[in-house]
Amino acid sequence: MDFRSLFTRKSKSSEIATQRLQLILTQDRFEVGEDSMKKLQFELTEVLAKYFEFTMNSVKMSLKREGNSYVLMADFPFNQSKKNR
Amino acid sequence: MGKVIVITSGKGGVGKTTSTANLGTALAMIGKTVVMVDADVGLRNLDVVMGLESRVVYTSMDVFEKRCELYKALVKDRRVEDLMLLAASQRNRKDDIKPEQMQEVCEKLKQEYDFVLVDSPAGIEQGFRNAAAGADEAIIITTPDLSAIRDADRIIGLLQNQEIQPINLVLNRLSPALVKKGNMISKNDVLDFLNIDLLGVVPEDTGVIASTNRGIPLVHNAGSQGAEAYMRIARRMTGQRVPIPEMREENFFSHVANWFSRNK
Ligand SMILES: Nc1ncnc2c1ncn2[C@@H]1O[C@H](COP(=O)(O)OP(=O)(O)OP(=O)(O)O)[C@@H](O)[C@H]1O
Ligand SMILES: [Mg+2]
Repeated sequence: MDFRSLFTRKSKSSEIATQRLQLILTQDRFEVGEDSMKKLQFELTEVLAKYFEFTMNSVKMSLKREGNSYVLMADFPFNQSKKNR
Repeated sequence: MGKVIVITSGKGGVGKTTSTANLGTALAMIGKTVVMVDADVGLRNLDVVMGLESRVVYTSMDVFEKRCELYKALVKDRRVEDLMLLAASQRNRKDDIKPEQMQEVCEKLKQEYDFVLVDSPAGIEQGFRNAAAGADEAIIITTPDLSAIRDADRIIGLLQNQEIQPINLVLNRLSPALVKKGNMISKNDVLDFLNIDLLGVVPEDTGVIASTNRGIPLVHNAGSQGAEAYMRIARRMTGQRVPIPEMREENFFSHVANWFSRNK
């Protein structure tokens, strides 16, 4: 989280709450600690980095409830495919 | 044959008892037969919110331990026809009851009544498990804050494991003015996180406190925003298609209107 955003007037407290909640629910649903989540994210990023170029800290992961199960949602915004260079 | 619906939340103090009292009353007002079961053993409140505390003679504990027949333990509401309360024992603890006992009573009640609403205690332990034991369906009550939503998420997971279906959501104490100012999580964000069907939204309503003081559920005070919200939810529970309106912001005129309806 961007620390400055806590203090700038622009970011509303509800926005901060939803960002925090996103992380909290994902951790609760994974039933693993933040460490394992970070590790998973890192390993997935490593694999994808073989094919795409992207900035590490733009990656977002969450679990979304769909009926009785969860779907892993992952955002890996990439700049370009490596082979197209 | 009716259905058993557990009203639960995980976090305490979010409006389970208030919602049970108002939905029970509202359902009876539109012609359904209803029993409200207080499952908050040791901390019972539903009798007080309903204004029925002086009429309670027997509790569910007396029924479980065969000191009293089920129908004799049911307390009749003072105002609405076909609305009953099964009170919880105040002298017992939550683990004095077994899930099977609760299940058996719920099973019997739904043979006779359209709706059996079970007011669950907070938490995820024995008390909650007992409350959910006989349930076919669930209503999750949450308020738009971090910890209530987090706990609701946990409870939804537990109920899904028990194959309770459907699990619907009531969002309580929403304040449109705070959402607009960016100081409260919005309805859509809550829905996005929990991703279960929305049964209705109940606004923050100062009338709730007055109605609890009097022991008269809010829905008797037709015209207040909270009462309208609970009436709409009750209609949806009976299968009617009632749209969920966007909450209007409290303004000068609605305050005046509320003042009049409250002081009638
Ligand atoms: N929509 C509302 N507007 C204003 N106040 C409310 C609203 N809903 C509930 N409250 C207030 O919140 C408090 C807690 O409500 P209630 O007892 O129904 O919660 P609960 O979930 O049953 O609590 P517990 O977990 O202790 O059983 C009460 O003082 C009640 O008056
Ligand atoms: Mg309660």
